[in-house]
Amino acid sequence: MTSQDNMPMTRAEKRQARRIRRFDNPWMNPKLTWGVAILLGIVAIGIIGRFVWNLDLVFTGSAPLKLPPLGAENLRGQPGVMEYPLGTDGAGRDMLALIIVGAPNTLFVGLLASLIGMSIGIFLGFSAGFIGGRVDDVIRVGADVMITIPPLLILVVFQSAFGDVTLTMMALLIAGFVWQSPTRLIRAQVLSMKQSGYVQMAQLSGASTTHIMFREMLPNLVPYLFGSFIASVTTSIVTAVGLEVLGLGPQRIPTLGRTIYEAINAGALIQNLWWWWGIPTLLLGVMFIGLLLINLGLDEVSNPRLRKLS
Amino acid sequence: MKFTRKLLASSALAVVASVSWAQDVSRENTVIFDLDRTIQDPENFNWMTPGTKRMHGAHQTMWEPLFILNYGTGDLDPWLATGFDQNDDSTEFTIALREGVEWSDGEAFNADDVIFTVNLAMTNEEISSREAATIRAQVASVEKVDDLTVRFTLQNPNPRFIVENFGVRIFGSFLIMPEHIWNGEDAATFAFNPPIGTGPYTFTSAASNRAIWDRNDDWWGAKTGFLGLPAPQRVIFLESGGEESRAQLMASNQLDAAQNVSIGTFEAIAAQNPNVIAWYADYPYSAADPCARQLEINTTVAPWDDANMRKAVAHIIDRNQIVNVAYEGTTTASETMFANYGSMAPFIDAVVEAGYGLPASADVAAGQTLIEATGWTRDGDYYTKDGETLSVDIHVNSASTEYTRTIDVVVEQLQRAGIDARAVPVENGVFWGEVLPFGTYEMSYSWLSCGSVNEPWASMGRYTVKDLVPVGERSPGFNNTARWDGDRAEAYSAVVDEIATRALGDPEVPALVAEAYGHLDAGTPFIPLVQAAKLLPMNETYWTGWPTAENYYNHPFFWWNHTHQIIHNLEPAGN
Repeated sequence: MTSQDNMPMTRAEKRQARRIRRFDNPWMNPKLTWGVAILLGIVAIGIIGRFVWNLDLVFTGSAPLKLPPLGAENLRGQPGVMEYPLGTDGAGRDMLALIIVGAPNTLFVGLLASLIGMSIGIFLGFSAGFIGGRVDDVIRVGADVMITIPPLLILVVFQSAFGDVTLTMMALLIAGFVWQSPTRLIRAQVLSMKQSGYVQMAQLSGASTTHIMFREMLPNLVPYLFGSFIASVTTSIVTAVGLEVLGLGPQRIPTLGRTIYEAINAGALIQNLWWWWGIPTLLLGVMFIGLLLINLGLDEVSNPRLRKLS
Repeated sequence: MKFTRKLLASSALAVVASVSWAQDVSRENTVIFDLDRTIQDPENFNWMTPGTKRMHGAHQTMWEPLFILNYGTGDLDPWLATGFDQNDDSTEFTIALREGVEWSDGEAFNADDVIFTVNLAMTNEEISSREAATIRAQVASVEKVDDLTVRFTLQNPNPRFIVENFGVRIFGSFLIMPEHIWNGEDAATFAFNPPIGTGPYTFTSAASNRAIWDRNDDWWGAKTGFLGLPAPQRVIFLESGGEESRAQLMASNQLDAAQNVSIGTFEAIAAQNPNVIAWYADYPYSAADPCARQLEINTTVAPWDDANMRKAVAHIIDRNQIVNVAYEGTTTASETMFANYGSMAPFIDAVVEAGYGLPASADVAAGQTLIEATGWTRDGDYYTKDGETLSVDIHVNSASTEYTRTIDVVVEQLQRAGIDARAVPVENGVFWGEVLPFGTYEMSYSWLSCGSVNEPWASMGRYTVKDLVPVGERSPGFNNTARWDGDRAEAYSAVVDEIATRALGDPEVPALVAEAYGHLDAGTPFIPLVQAAKLLPMNETYWTGWPTAENYYNHPFFWWNHTHQIIHNLEPAGN
């Protein structure tokens, strides 16, 4: 036992200790933590809300029209009431219920679309990079061609043709446009990684192609994959919200984008029904900030040079 | 590089040109009306073919009707004609045309033009517009008595012949075209560009979102003393988009008359721009539209080909909720298919007394009993039969929140009763051009029993078996788009044909209406929903003299053929 053990650490020492711990575990950086917390918060609103709030209030005509949030007043001078704490929209839907159902829906479309897109991307990217030759040519050209097509344009046509779509359907459609970037990114990483010693060693020891691809190389790509995944979640949500704001998403399933569409369509701006378009817009903003933070955090994980001493 | 420069230069030129052209007429000499649809074919002015070819200013400024039904007085105001005579059994009508009427190219308008245009509609089967189809169905022959007199001989007695075809009773009228230009052209394909008319305005330019009409200072009406030149030098019909942009344009004086808005939006506009008025100065502000809203059902599509299923839906619909949510209380529930006008009261009363009046509230249990009686069983949220879920797509025109929100309410009501309903919003042009006339829907939101204003036949006559066509073929004049068929429909048609021959004011008609309505109620090819009310903001910043309840020279529906009267009544506000 030395005297040092008993001595309390000074503040500076504590900070340094924390910093060192953070270096040890790059996944514990504050950006990542905050980003994940924000997204989990939105999911939590959805989950907890389902137990404590009456979700039938998301349907047309289930509440009085155009009530303001608590503490505010609408143009007719009606005050907000406890039954509808965030106010109601012009079709008699409760804003709180809309958010409880709509916000996770928006997140769900983004996650599902990029999960599918990423899976396709990982598979194609590895195949192109590792197998090479004709396979590489076909996949590379395919991805390059697809990347030049503006997704919103195609999706608008698709959705107009389909009419009403489900959330899953919409995610599938969007997934068709988010696999190209991961494919290219992973292909590039695989090409450079192929030359590294451990891969060549594995090849020499006779490991199968799939074993090398998914057991040896994939784990090293995890931070990249996460980064790419979050980026495509953002893209997917932007695309989904874009479609919804144009009125092309699901008709009866509440989403944040559709709520904004309906607000604009019903003249909410001129009637000063700010809660109708403002709350979903705010939530979307928070959601994107959360995704951005996660992305920045993951960058620090995969790129040690970004980890600064603070 | 050279090409880019050329392109830049030419686009700069175009900008300069359009600016200088726009400055020709100042804002205070221009009246701007709101257009609720895209002009899909702005180069085509053949009103006899489908599309936006008359309500973008053409029949409000350039083409004039023979008569205009005055909703305030109930009279036919003479316009291009001065009057008419009819024989006792209403099979022969003689119209006297006004002297001195000229086309804008200087040619005289006379009986030859009328006879030529009517013959076009009668002989060319490809012409599909409602007005032309009605003429084809009614007229046996038309002859010239002298240059200013035309005699029509009808196939069947029709006391309403003039008001129905030439009187702007609902929306339009049969428009007379210049023989010296149309002669030798195929009326089904002729584009009629540049168009001419007898009206005080001539066509200047059009694009998919606007049409511009400029005053013809050499107009015949001013020369003959019929009416003075209208005050606005230029009339623009501008597609405003949704309610929000409509409201912003109105608040910032970039629009003089807007299409329907909700009451909240109107109050907001009026708060920002005190010059904006509506039909009534106070709540409910809106004017009663003669086209009551309804849910049209395609009676050829299972399971809605079963009248009991259609009746079930009728029971499930809660009209009060539609009034409260979609109209914010500014209209009333429909009791019958008719518009609740005082002049329609005898017929509405007869129907209600016979027990066919519709309740304002729902009887969901009665509806569900009917559904269950046809073999459907409730399985969780929805009814199912043979593994199939009871579902319905309801097509709705997306041009107005009034339409979409009504259907949102109906969808909710059906969902709660166990029918997996969903709304399918469709663009205005597609809705009227493809969905409704060809029957490519299960249910749709419409007002196709619109027609009756002071007698029952115009509305009832739209659902007879005479107009029955299969799905995929165009319904003549949007009549019987429900494709209602069978014994009930036959019996209904027989009574309605009987009503058609009766003179206006025949005391037996209300009883006949009740009898026909019994068949209609049993068949339910459509479900009346609510009365239509139009809240049309009108801007007094640049123009005064808009039609209002206090200044009731006619109704304010400025997309109709009678808008000539509105434009003639406008006066500069002096701002």
